[in-house]
Amino acid sequence: MAGTGKDVSSETLGEAGTPLFIVRLACNDPMPKHELILLKNMMQPGYTGSLADYEKTGGYQALRNTLGKLAPADVTAIVRKSGLRGRGGAGFPTGVKWGFLPKDYQGPRYLCCNADESEPGTFKDRQLMERDPHQVLEGIVLACYAIGSETAYIYIRGEMVLGSKILEHAIGEARAAGYIGKNVLGSGINVDVWVHRGAGAYICGEETALLESLEGKRGLPRIKPPFPATHGLYNKPTVVNNVETLANLPHIITRGPEWFAAIGSPPKSTGTRVFCVSGHVKRPGNYEVPMGMTVRELVYEYAGGMRSDKPLKAFIPGGASAPFLTPAHLDVKLDFEHVAAAGSMLGSGGVTVMEEGTSMVWAALRLMEFFYHESCGKCSPCREGSSWLVQTMRRIFAKRGRMEDLETLLDLCKNIAGRTVCAFGDAEVAPIQSTLKHWRHEYVDLINEAEAANLIRPEPVARR
Amino acid sequence: MTTPTAQMVRIMIDGMTVNVPKGTLVIEAARRVGVMIPHFCYHPKLKPDANCRMCLVEIEKVPKLQTACSTPVDEGMNVRTATTVVNDAHKSVLEFILANHPLDCPVCDQGGKCDLQDFSHQYTATSRFTETKRVFQKEYFSPLIETQMNRCVQCLRCVRYCDEVMDVKALAPVGRGTMTEIKHFGFHPLDCEFCGGCVQICPVGAITSRLSMYEYRPWMLKRAETICGYCGDGCQMTVQTKGQELIEVNSAHGAGRNNGDLCARGFFGFHAASHPQRLTHPLIRRHGALVQVTWEEALEYVADRVNEIKAAHGGPSFGGLISGRCTNEELYLFQKFLRMAIGTNHIDSSARYGHVNGLQAMQLVQGTHRWTVTFEDILDADVLILVGTNITETNPITGLKVKEAVKKRQATLITIESLEPVVDTMSNIANLSHHHFRIPTSDTHHAIVGLVKAVLEQNLTQPDLAQRHPTYVNAMTSALQQISWQDLQAATGIEPDAFVRAAKVAAGARRVVIMAGQLLLRSEQGYSGCLTLLDLLLLTGKLDAPGCGFAPLAEENNDQGAIEMGTVTELLPGAQPITNDTERERIAKQWKGELPTDKGASLIEMLERARVGSLKAMFIVGENPVGSLPAVIHAEASLRNLDLLVCQELFLTETAALAHVVLPAASSLEKHGTFTNTEGHVQAVRPAIEPVGDSRPDWEIFSALSILLNSPMEYAESKEILKEIRSLIPGYSSLGPTPLPPKVDHSAVDRYLTDGYQRDLASRYHPISRASRPDGTVRLELAQSLFHSGKLSTRSKGLLQVEGSGRLRISPSDAARFALSDGDRVRLSSTSGEMTTEVKIMERVPQGTAWFPSHFGQAAVQLFECAIDPITHVPSFRTATVSMMKVA
Ligand SMILES: Cc1cc2nc3c(=O)[nH]c(=O)nc-3n(C[C@H](O)[C@H](O)[C@H](O)COP(=O)(O)O)c2cc1C
Ligand code: SF4
Ligand code: SF4
Ligand code: SF4
Ligand code: SF4
Ligand code: FES
Repeated sequence: MAGTGKDVSSETLGEAGTPLFIVRLACNDPMPKHELILLKNMMQPGYTGSLADYEKTGGYQALRNTLGKLAPADVTAIVRKSGLRGRGGAGFPTGVKWGFLPKDYQGPRYLCCNADESEPGTFKDRQLMERDPHQVLEGIVLACYAIGSETAYIYIRGEMVLGSKILEHAIGEARAAGYIGKNVLGSGINVDVWVHRGAGAYICGEETALLESLEGKRGLPRIKPPFPATHGLYNKPTVVNNVETLANLPHIITRGPEWFAAIGSPPKSTGTRVFCVSGHVKRPGNYEVPMGMTVRELVYEYAGGMRSDKPLKAFIPGGASAPFLTPAHLDVKLDFEHVAAAGSMLGSGGVTVMEEGTSMVWAALRLMEFFYHESCGKCSPCREGSSWLVQTMRRIFAKRGRMEDLETLLDLCKNIAGRTVCAFGDAEVAPIQSTLKHWRHEYVDLINEAEAANLIRPEPVARR
Repeated sequence: MTTPTAQMVRIMIDGMTVNVPKGTLVIEAARRVGVMIPHFCYHPKLKPDANCRMCLVEIEKVPKLQTACSTPVDEGMNVRTATTVVNDAHKSVLEFILANHPLDCPVCDQGGKCDLQDFSHQYTATSRFTETKRVFQKEYFSPLIETQMNRCVQCLRCVRYCDEVMDVKALAPVGRGTMTEIKHFGFHPLDCEFCGGCVQICPVGAITSRLSMYEYRPWMLKRAETICGYCGDGCQMTVQTKGQELIEVNSAHGAGRNNGDLCARGFFGFHAASHPQRLTHPLIRRHGALVQVTWEEALEYVADRVNEIKAAHGGPSFGGLISGRCTNEELYLFQKFLRMAIGTNHIDSSARYGHVNGLQAMQLVQGTHRWTVTFEDILDADVLILVGTNITETNPITGLKVKEAVKKRQATLITIESLEPVVDTMSNIANLSHHHFRIPTSDTHHAIVGLVKAVLEQNLTQPDLAQRHPTYVNAMTSALQQISWQDLQAATGIEPDAFVRAAKVAAGARRVVIMAGQLLLRSEQGYSGCLTLLDLLLLTGKLDAPGCGFAPLAEENNDQGAIEMGTVTELLPGAQPITNDTERERIAKQWKGELPTDKGASLIEMLERARVGSLKAMFIVGENPVGSLPAVIHAEASLRNLDLLVCQELFLTETAALAHVVLPAASSLEKHGTFTNTEGHVQAVRPAIEPVGDSRPDWEIFSALSILLNSPMEYAESKEILKEIRSLIPGYSSLGPTPLPPKVDHSAVDRYLTDGYQRDLASRYHPISRASRPDGTVRLELAQSLFHSGKLSTRSKGLLQVEGSGRLRISPSDAARFALSDGDRVRLSSTSGEMTTEVKIMERVPQGTAWFPSHFGQAAVQLFECAIDPITHVPSFRTATVSMMKVA
């Protein structure tokens, strides 16, 4: 990684002819078997992500063809027709979400681009922003136009320093070229875009916590209703959309909703997904494929198969919040409905693969540690439940478990899910519930081993 | 969020039908049919946060359980709160909440009144939790408030209260997950308004009062519902005692005019009554020293001396001064005693220090002696105008009404205050203001004039006023033409446009309430400023419009009562002018005697007469003129000149130390009676403890003396005095706990518009001449402090821990100008004297001004000039230009 360690300041950027940034190519698919949409530009040799490069590939044509030619409502209608669904996790139809904004509201509205990307196993937004920032910005301006917002905030994960600098630089370029700012391309429309860096909390990716954090408050989720569409940032109508969701917009406008709706598994899962394949595979990385591809194809054809050619034991199809699946699910189609029917969710598109030999108790514990660390603490079941769950899991893994722990774990999971302020509660129980469902014997073995070796002993009292 | 509307909906709760306004929260609808849904984070004062998840209920056709505290009802909703599923959910949430709870009930002050205990009991909660509990280290939090974060259930009620209700924002959750703690900001002990709200609202024992730590179990305490004796807001509070020991004060949600909220003085200031220096026995001066005697001796001595002096010099050689902190019954009996048993009209009370200004203005313009509005009108107002109130520190609870009106009900706030709008350890009303006129206190009047000028010039006057009273409108117009915008701008530093904008907002609104505070009322322009504010209401047609009115804020808890009981020389009971012959006759007849005919003297005149020897004797009850009046008045010399000075006091003040007889009086925590708050609500005062030592309620002392003086005023209890007051004052009998405010008297308004306004038009609206302050000087002002009020707070150990001495508050820019840092000592000097003090730099103090807290201001007072209002006789001595110098 040539760029690491150096502070990338805007003065050193964009000298003619020199690459803007050298970014590790996380996308290393040698020859895509499908047409790429989002990763297409950046896969071209020498593509720097600069405004000039982006424009050469037809960048900002969608915006030119929209302003003054399409009414905002037309843009929303196109997006609705395309079937585009949110890529942030919940998969809500984007056009429908925009339609919830009050029509007659006089006053500011906001667009927030959710670039907090903190879900373990998910790293697509980062690449979209670092490698092709203008694609995201064009999507942002289009979305602003559609919802009548003059201000967009990109809430970017604090650790993504490089990404934030690249975005800042790109915003500067776009502003100078008239794509952003007052009177965009002479249309009379104003759109300003600001980058806001988070401070390191996973929960700030949850849309209402993100809004609180943007307002300068502690990032705690709000109770819903009211939804951001009516009471969002500063209590004003607000749309929160994921980076990848927004990056799709220029293509949908340019090539039409029918084109987009034909890709993937229509009618409910249209378009491509950038899957972030990680874990025990030969070629981890981002792969953009049409939705509906099987896990088997993604893992074995794209990601090069298993790292040490051991059989696949388990995978998570949609980020840490999605329940684990088994080899029996290798032929499940990666689209919203099929993954849900298999008992998991497509979520953020983070596909984590585990080979034979991986301890499932360990894997679930590892994720539980994450959720315990990230529970914001606002609501009792999640706050207390996460600490209870993680301590029990630690005990079981350390061979100090008891058989009744398993029932307690399941009961606690049941008492957390669906009873919390935000969806974090549903997410945190997924690893334990799904591993207990598919690999209960691994828990039982650890407990038996503990009992056989008479290893059960009180945990030393931890003091802080 | 939805708010209840007028539309009613019908819903079912556990099979019971209930009709409630649409938008009511399920938890509240359930309460109406007697169903209590368990909850921690919900509180009716706060916006729903739904974080504890305790209140989950089943709603038909909704798949998941819903939180009753955040779900508004809708037509036809069918709610179940006691099914197995709901019960299991409640149990499970409780199990989670108890997981990390230390279960240290045996040493927890909340024990016996703890929601967590109660719900655990109700659900017989057991826990499967066998893991390690998280433990927070104990941290020192503040001198008055203790936190025990292991007990915290993270409901955030404290944080939300401090933000939403108080607007202080002193607290915040820190850390995340189970490691979340409630903390304050900065690496020093909590520094806030110390309202105690967080202590009151915490459902468990995580935030408690240090004053009562480990002192009691709730069932050991006796409770008395009474009224706070500190400021005119008149908060209802519950004083809890163990025998004669004062343990704790709180106020139930919804109680009184304060709706259960209190300020630091009410919550933490109750120990004054049990201060070890309380006077417990009568004292008589013998051979120069005060010696302890029995009540019989003391009273007989007083009676003998009174008879001698009266025989030699007549009734009018006596005078009396009483504190506006006594009960109505005592105030009433004091003036009756002086007028009938002694035969003098020389009567005054602490209302003279400022409240009289507001009252006289109201009487002149609108013919009332009370507000024509109530706290509810403040809440409902469209526009609120605050003038010289420093409301957070002077009338904190009225301040909460203003905050609620602005924050929750979208009222527009116009402030004429000397505060800089900055974020500070206290709430600052200027931060909520939409039109803030930041003007030095002494120039307040110019800003009011600016508003009136804008109203006249922008044709914002009520259209038919000019037709009905052309001379008034013309006179006003021409008076204001003489005042140029340039001069106004020079005097106030405010652009004319700002006045115009604010005037338009006020004139265009439907419900406008103007509040005037002590900084105006006690200033040289107190009376004229009030009149000008009333002019503003008149001109814009708001004086008699519904929901509109003028509200001078009383500093002392019963200033209003002192006026209504006739305890100022110019008024009879019922606040009737002493010159009103029919009233005189009526009252004399009821009292079965003759009223003295002499023209009474007010406080300053009495002292003057004492100095020259024409006043021979004084009764001073709970007042300390020697300590509170500036040197130029020579109060001490005057009082030393008296043949007889009788003081009724709780403590041996500077004044009492000069007395010939000192009689120990009972505090308001030790007696029955009534107080009238600033908005005119007469409220019951009840004893929490027995009178300390041999002290007696003031009324009993007057009554006993009257018997010895052969004009017996005998009452078995203070209620009988109240009965007499009610029979004497027309309309007083109907004034219960929720009286209707009086209406503007239209004949009085007509009189004012015809010729009443002329009396002082010229003195109120005159061209501004501006004297500039010499270099090296600051404008010294006495400032009310939130932590002190009246003569007793400086004896309260709780309040002294927050503010135990006076420090001169100066602005950062003056600190730089005089090269001062926090804690440096400075010498202030004026032509009247000098003093040295420590400085405290505060951002809210405007440049060029220095504030000294009035309760420690005895040395500062000596530097002030004293101006006396020619009409209201109010002495004002709260500002002076002084030179400031750093000393080692
Ligand atoms: C705990 C939690 C974390 C989340 N983190 C992210 C995130 O990092 N990035 C993201 O785009 N969406 C995240 N989401 C989803 C957002 O709440 C929201 O649904 C999404 O930003 C909407 O955008 P979309 O409709 O374009 O997907 C998270 C949700 C939860 C409950
Ligand atoms: S579910 Fe967890 S993360 Fe979400 S609000 Fe509750 S405590 Fe916070
Ligand atoms: S006592 Fe202090 S911290 Fe507590 S609510 Fe009042 S102002 Fe806030
Ligand atoms: S201290 Fe009390 S009020 Fe504050 S969050 Fe904890 S339990 Fe709730
Ligand atoms: S001092 Fe005033 S505001 Fe404070 S509690 Fe007492 S009456 Fe209420
Ligand atoms: S009371 Fe409803 S969630 Fe706390």
